[in-house]
Amino acid sequence: MGIHSVCNALSHLQNASRAQLGLTSIPNTKYNLRFALALHRAGFISSVTRAGLTPPPPDQLLTFETEPVTTNNVSTRRLWLGLKYYNNKPVMSNLEAVSKPKRLVTADYKQLSKIARGFKAGHVKGLNLGETLFLSTDKGVLEVREALEKRVGGLVLARVS
Amino acid sequence: MSVAARPAARRLASSVGALCSTTSTITTTTITPTTPSSQIPSSCRPFSSTPPAPGRRKPRFRNITARDLGLISPASQKPNPYVSGEQVDRFADKKFPKYTNAEKAELMRMYTPEQIAALEAGEASIDPKDLTIQGRLRTDIYRLPYIDDFAEYQPIIDKRAPASRSKKIVPPDPNARFMNTDQFVADLIEWADKFRAGEPTGTLKRLEDFVGEEWKKVKEAQWPGEVRDGAHKEFKKYLQEEINKAAKQQENGGVVSGGPTDADVLSYILERSVMTDRNAQTQSSLALALPDKVPGVAGMYKAAVDPADQGLDETGIYQDLKRRSGMSVQGILKLQTKMLVMNYVSNQTRMGKIGSVVVYTVAGNGDGWVGLGYAKSQEPTVANQKSRLDAISKMRPIRRYENRTVYGDVEAKVSGTVVKLFARPPGFGLRVQHRIFEICRAAGIYDLSARVPRSRNPMNTVKATIEALHNQKDPEEMAMGRGRKLVDARKVYYGGATQ
Repeated sequence: MGIHSVCNALSHLQNASRAQLGLTSIPNTKYNLRFALALHRAGFISSVTRAGLTPPPPDQLLTFETEPVTTNNVSTRRLWLGLKYYNNKPVMSNLEAVSKPKRLVTADYKQLSKIARGFKAGHVKGLNLGETLFLSTDKGVLEVREALEKRVGGLVLARVS
Repeated sequence: MSVAARPAARRLASSVGALCSTTSTITTTTITPTTPSSQIPSSCRPFSSTPPAPGRRKPRFRNITARDLGLISPASQKPNPYVSGEQVDRFADKKFPKYTNAEKAELMRMYTPEQIAALEAGEASIDPKDLTIQGRLRTDIYRLPYIDDFAEYQPIIDKRAPASRSKKIVPPDPNARFMNTDQFVADLIEWADKFRAGEPTGTLKRLEDFVGEEWKKVKEAQWPGEVRDGAHKEFKKYLQEEINKAAKQQENGGVVSGGPTDADVLSYILERSVMTDRNAQTQSSLALALPDKVPGVAGMYKAAVDPADQGLDETGIYQDLKRRSGMSVQGILKLQTKMLVMNYVSNQTRMGKIGSVVVYTVAGNGDGWVGLGYAKSQEPTVANQKSRLDAISKMRPIRRYENRTVYGDVEAKVSGTVVKLFARPPGFGLRVQHRIFEICRAAGIYDLSARVPRSRNPMNTVKATIEALHNQKDPEEMAMGRGRKLVDARKVYYGGATQ
C-alpha cells in the first residue's frame, strides 16, 4: 500500500495550520482515514468527518449524518479535518514525513523504545519535547506510545509536533 | 456597532447560507481554469515560453479559516501586537466612556437643549479610538519626566522667554563714535556731577568769584594787575581753608562727604563707555559675576540623592531604571551583567568618519531572569553603561527545567545564525561557547550544550540565544491544547520528586 496520500496529507495539514485554517479536507482514502483517526486520538485535530466537495456545516460537525459511500459518490468524498488552536496558536504546527514514497523507514519495538526516550535509533532521530511519531503497524496506524504499549513496530510515517 | 464589531460572525453566517444554498448543486460544480494568456498585458512581450503563473491559486476545495470558526481571536492576526483592536477598544471604553443616564440628566439640568445638542455633536465628532491611539501618554524611556502639553511657560523647566517679555535690551547705537577731547571732558564732568554737590568738583568757588562784578565777564588776562593779584591771594586762601577743612574731617573719622570713592573711580576706568553712546553698555572685558543666590531659583534645585540608596548612586545613573523597574539600587547592583559584544562602527559623513561603539550586554539575576541590552555611542564608556541599563530593563523570566536547564531542545534563528540549545542531565555543566556561557550564567542555567552550526556572527549568536531561551515551549500549554495528560517520566520514575 503506497504512502503517497499520507505524505501529501502531511504537507497539506502543515500548510493549513500555518494558514490558520479551521476546517480543511484531505482525499478520502483508507490510509488517510486511519492516519486522521490516529491524529484525533492523539489530540492534534478536533474532528474527522467524511463529506462532499464543500465543507460540512461547521456547527453540525459532531452530529453530521455522513452519506454512505457508494460507487456513485465515492469520487466526491473527502475527509474534513477540524484543526485545533490554543491561545491563538495551532496545536499541530509541524508535520514531517519520515518515510517517503521513495524510501520507507521502519522501526522495530526495540528501536521505538529508544526513540520514544529521546535517543536516535536507525534513521530516526529521538523525540523532542512535545513531539510524537506515527507508525503504520499490523494493528493499524498508531502513535509511538500506543505502539509501545502493544509492543509492535512498523513503518514510520510522520513526526508531528 | 455590533455589526461592525463582529465581521467574522457575519461572514460565517453568510458562508453557512451559501453552503445551504449550494448543497444541491455539488455535483454540477466544475472548476474552470483561468487562461493564463488573458492575464498578460498586451504591451508586454513575454520572453519566455513558460506561461506566467496566474495570481493566487484558489484551493480546489474550499476551507474555513480558524478565525471564521471563532477558534482564534481576530486580534491575534493583527500585524502590530502592541495596538491590537481589542486592546484599543477595551482601553477606549474604560477611559472615554459614554455618558450614563445620570450624567445625562445632570447635563439636562445645567444646559439648554441646544447646548446639549452641541455637546453631543462634539462628542460624536471625536472617535474614542483616535483619542486612545493618538492621544495617549508616552511610556517609552525617552519620555519627558513630567506631563505637559506645553501650553504654559514654566520658568524653571522651559527655555528663557523671548526678550520682549523680560528686561528691555537696547540695541547698540550705530552712530556711536569714540569721544574726542571736548566730549571726553564733558562726559567726565557729567560723571562727576553725579556725586554730592559742594565738593571737589563743580561747586568750589572759582577765581572769578573773588573779583568785582564788572570783571566777571572779562577774561583774566584783561584784569588789572591789583585786581588779579587780590583775586589770586583770596582764592589761594580759600583753597587752603577748604583743604584744611577736609583734612580735619578725615582726622575726625568722617568720610570726605560725597566725593567719588576708589571703587567709583575704578568703575569709571573699567566700565564707562568710551563711545558717544551715552554710556549705553559696558565696555568691560570682564564677565559679570553671578550672584550667590539667583532669585527665583534659589532653593528650587535639589540633589537627586535618595537616602534609600545609602549613597550607592551619587551620580544618579540608576534613578530612571529604579523608577521604571521598581528595583532598589542595591538590587540593581546585585544583578550580574556582562558585556558580550563590542563593535566599532562608523558613519561616513562629509566631515569624515564618525566612529561609534556598539555594545551588547547581558543582565540576569542568576535565577531565571535574563535580558539583552544594546546601546551605541561615540564614547565606549557611555555605550557600556547604557547597554547595561538597557539589559537590566529588558530582563524577562525564562522557562527552566528543574531550575538548571532548558525544556527539551530549543532552536532559534536570527539572520544566518542558528543556535541550538540541548537540555542536559544534572552535573553536565555548561559545555557551550563563551558568549552563550555568559548568558546561561546570568540566567541561572547550569546544564546545557549548544551548537551554532551555521554563521557564528557574535551579535546574531547572542540575539538568537536569548530568543531561544525566551521562546521555549510550555508543556502545560501543549497538554491543554491536545487535551492529553503530559507526564514528566523522570519525575514519575523518582517517585514524583520535583527536585
